[in-house]
Amino acid sequence: MTIPAYLGEFEQLLLLAVLRLGAEAYGGDIARELEARAGRTVSRGALYTSLDRLEDKGLVRWKAADGSPARNGLPRRLYAVTPAGMAALRASREILKRMWRGLDHLFKEPTS
Amino acid sequence: MTAGRPPRLAEWLLRRTLPPGVGGESILGDLVEDWRDAGETTAASLTYWRHALSLAARYALRRERPNTLDLGHRSERMLLDNFRNDLRYAIRSYAKAPSFTIIILTTLALGIGASTAIFSIVNAILLRPLPLQNPDRLLYVTEVNPRGTLMTVSWPNYLDWRARSRSFDLLACSREENYTLTGTERAQRLTGRRVTGNFFRVLGVSPAIGRGFTDEDDRPNTPALAVVSDAYWRTKLGADPSVIGQTLRLDGAGYTLVGVMPRDFQYIRPYDLFTSMGPSSGSSELLDRGNHNGFHALGRLKGDATVDSATSELRAIAAALEREYPNTNTGITIRAERLADRLVEDVKLTLLALFGAVGFLLLIACVNVANLLVARGAARQHELAVRAALGGGRARLASQLLVESTLISVAGSTLGVAVAAWLLRALVAAAPEGIPRIADVRLDGPALLFALVAAALCGIVFGALPAFQASGVGGQHALVRGRAAGFAARSHRLRRGLMVAETALALVLLAGAGLMMRTLHELTRVETGFKADHLLTTRFVLAGDQWTRDKRVVFFGDLQARLRALPGVINAALAFSLPIDGSNWNSIFIVGDKPVPARAQLPSAAFTPVSAGYFETMQMRLIRGRFFDATDTFTSPKVTVVNESLAKRLWPGEDAIGKRLKQGWPENPNAWREVIGVVVDVKFNGVTADTPMQSYLPLAQEPSRGVAIVARTQGDPAALGPAIEGLMQQVDRDLPLYEVQTMEEMFGDSIARQRLSMTVFVLFAAVALTLASVGLYGVVAHGVTERMHEIGVRIALGAEQHHVLGMVIRQGLSMALVGTAIGVAGALALSRWIQSLLFGVTATDPVTIGAVIAVLLAVALVACSVPAWRATRVDPTTALRAE
Repeated sequence: MTIPAYLGEFEQLLLLAVLRLGAEAYGGDIARELEARAGRTVSRGALYTSLDRLEDKGLVRWKAADGSPARNGLPRRLYAVTPAGMAALRASREILKRMWRGLDHLFKEPTS
Repeated sequence: MTAGRPPRLAEWLLRRTLPPGVGGESILGDLVEDWRDAGETTAASLTYWRHALSLAARYALRRERPNTLDLGHRSERMLLDNFRNDLRYAIRSYAKAPSFTIIILTTLALGIGASTAIFSIVNAILLRPLPLQNPDRLLYVTEVNPRGTLMTVSWPNYLDWRARSRSFDLLACSREENYTLTGTERAQRLTGRRVTGNFFRVLGVSPAIGRGFTDEDDRPNTPALAVVSDAYWRTKLGADPSVIGQTLRLDGAGYTLVGVMPRDFQYIRPYDLFTSMGPSSGSSELLDRGNHNGFHALGRLKGDATVDSATSELRAIAAALEREYPNTNTGITIRAERLADRLVEDVKLTLLALFGAVGFLLLIACVNVANLLVARGAARQHELAVRAALGGGRARLASQLLVESTLISVAGSTLGVAVAAWLLRALVAAAPEGIPRIADVRLDGPALLFALVAAALCGIVFGALPAFQASGVGGQHALVRGRAAGFAARSHRLRRGLMVAETALALVLLAGAGLMMRTLHELTRVETGFKADHLLTTRFVLAGDQWTRDKRVVFFGDLQARLRALPGVINAALAFSLPIDGSNWNSIFIVGDKPVPARAQLPSAAFTPVSAGYFETMQMRLIRGRFFDATDTFTSPKVTVVNESLAKRLWPGEDAIGKRLKQGWPENPNAWREVIGVVVDVKFNGVTADTPMQSYLPLAQEPSRGVAIVARTQGDPAALGPAIEGLMQQVDRDLPLYEVQTMEEMFGDSIARQRLSMTVFVLFAAVALTLASVGLYGVVAHGVTERMHEIGVRIALGAEQHHVLGMVIRQGLSMALVGTAIGVAGALALSRWIQSLLFGVTATDPVTIGAVIAVLLAVALVACSVPAWRATRVDPTTALRAE
């Protein structure tokens, strides 16, 4: 399995949001999770095209679930992070951790 | 299960742009679910639109982009470069034809500006919800008498509704009451409402400072309380929070100030203050079930109750009350409607008519723009054909035309918004008093959106499509530059069609304007029954217990003598109600020599106490008998002067003099009054309403508390105002005068709405006529240019000047005639919509329609004559050489 060199910030946020939502991750919830937790308002156009891109790269996959009446019977895509996605996240996290190491004293925030 | 649907257009857009299959469908599903979760509201629909647009933009770009990344970037760059070139080219081509550009911009600015301004007004007054909590659940309830006319609510009836109905969370009651405030430096006249303790809770507002009223405050003889408006608190009480607890002297009684309303609160109109029911609710006047004392009820519907269910419940209660109190409630039922509907009832039709008119104006503007762009497209077919031949694809040329029309639309709508802002200011300033929510009118988001949509409609739909059509970009005609080329004929047909449409639309607007003008003319020459010029009127109230009946009689006599002695005053009198202004006292009555009809069939008249000298001051004609004079005092026999309507209705063919009538229910112990005179009818309730039956009473025998002064002057009546104010200050400084105005001003106010409608209609019609004539001129002139060769040949072959002239004019007028015929049909079809706004003229009035046709055809003739005359000047040698 090839590990992508580096994930963009938005891609990381998207993957993390999908992880946080567990089995229930669909488009609307992902947008709300990004907004609630990261304070990111993202247009639906950007959201779905980015998810498509992550899918093209093999970092997320989805399965279709049957639509409820509230959705006019339209299907729902439930997203999950693929092993490749997990690997990419892990790699990104490692890179960031290495870069942060030893710099904490520059950002004097109350710890814990 | 699936009750509502998200915005269809947005959904359609998404289906066109999203990838097919589960991918696209699931996105659609997510959006629907969100929309449903957000409550399917307008806000939810707007969010849906936002998402849809962002998705459409993203996915449209993705689809355009070929698979390889590099190529994708390049095509995007190309797209951008093309756009930049198109824009530059468009600006240059508009700059090269300044007169064309100015005409098209003016057309757009006028059409968009006028329609945006009127839309802003319609939006603020009719569409935007009231700034109250759940305004749709507020119900306005009044009573209806057996004759079907609206009445105010009797207090005991209201109490019974409140006790018995189950449809409301809360049911409040209130009425307008104005007060004289004394104890301040100068007595002031305040506007107010007396309200029940639950009134503010029904509306869902509470005071910003202090407290409101409670149900406890409704009980008879509880302390008198007042809540003032924010505006009053700021302007008159110095915005001082410590005023809570202070006492205001209103009509001589002390009211404790307990609260200040929030800044944005308003109910029906801006009042200075609100007072509690306690001081009134025990009065005999209110406790008499037969008295309808100016109240209306206001309820907030309970959870599952609807307007219909609440109405039928109240009707059932009214029916029960009718059985329980046959003496007072026979034939009385209720009318309930949403508060918002009630508020705009009077202005709705006028506003919709204006909105319709402006819609026509916008269409004319659209057609004119289309016409101009078609002409331009036709003129440019050669240029475009060259570009097509050199490899410019149909799509590229279309995009060029689209950029051009978008550019002109954006410029036009910017100018249009400026025109709208100006027009809106002028209209609001000119608006007559009493138009609800006029203060809320502004150019806001929806109005700007409207301007944008109007611009898109005008410029892009009506502009680019026909231009594209006419320019023959299909390419099949290429470089053939023959005079009779197919597309030239096609564009000409299109222009003629547009011209016919424009004439028809202009005729409809002109007909509306003509009818409005006739209406205003009829209104100003209505026979009022009195002489309205050189009259000044004003009002005051003798409020408070100290003004006993005897004191009032003496005061009125003394005041009238002093008024008559003022320099410049020919005559002066006092009256409880004034003509045009309307009756303040309507009551049923019985007549002496006739059997008393059933209670529901008792006649009703406007009872009007007036002082001696009133009829002389108003210069009303006496038909029989005598006027009131100094011999009619409180102790002399009770008398009345009736108007012609009453005399004719009650005693047809008989002499009314000496007959007797008695105000009130048959069993009421009121005095019988002998008819001593009959006077002409005067226009009493406004100018348009029929004169009611009227019974005038001597003011000395029926000394009301509130009276109007009327003074007939030698010179300008308005100049007498200060003298009367000075006189009142001398007599009693606690008597503020209010509503100081001349009778002609009152007259003007009463027809102000019609005057404004007429002004706007005439303005629109003038613009429409101008646009149509410019359009006609353009088409005919274009036709002459096209046929220059043919005309040259005709002249060379010896055609007379008048033949050429006639030929061209015939061609132009035929379009105008067809348009006129269609327009007349349209105006007749629309006539029933406008009829209720008219007075003294029917919507199908042949004289008006005829005049309108004549005006339109005359203007059309002028518009055709100029190019026709030019055609006669064609020099055949030049025309033929050009070929």
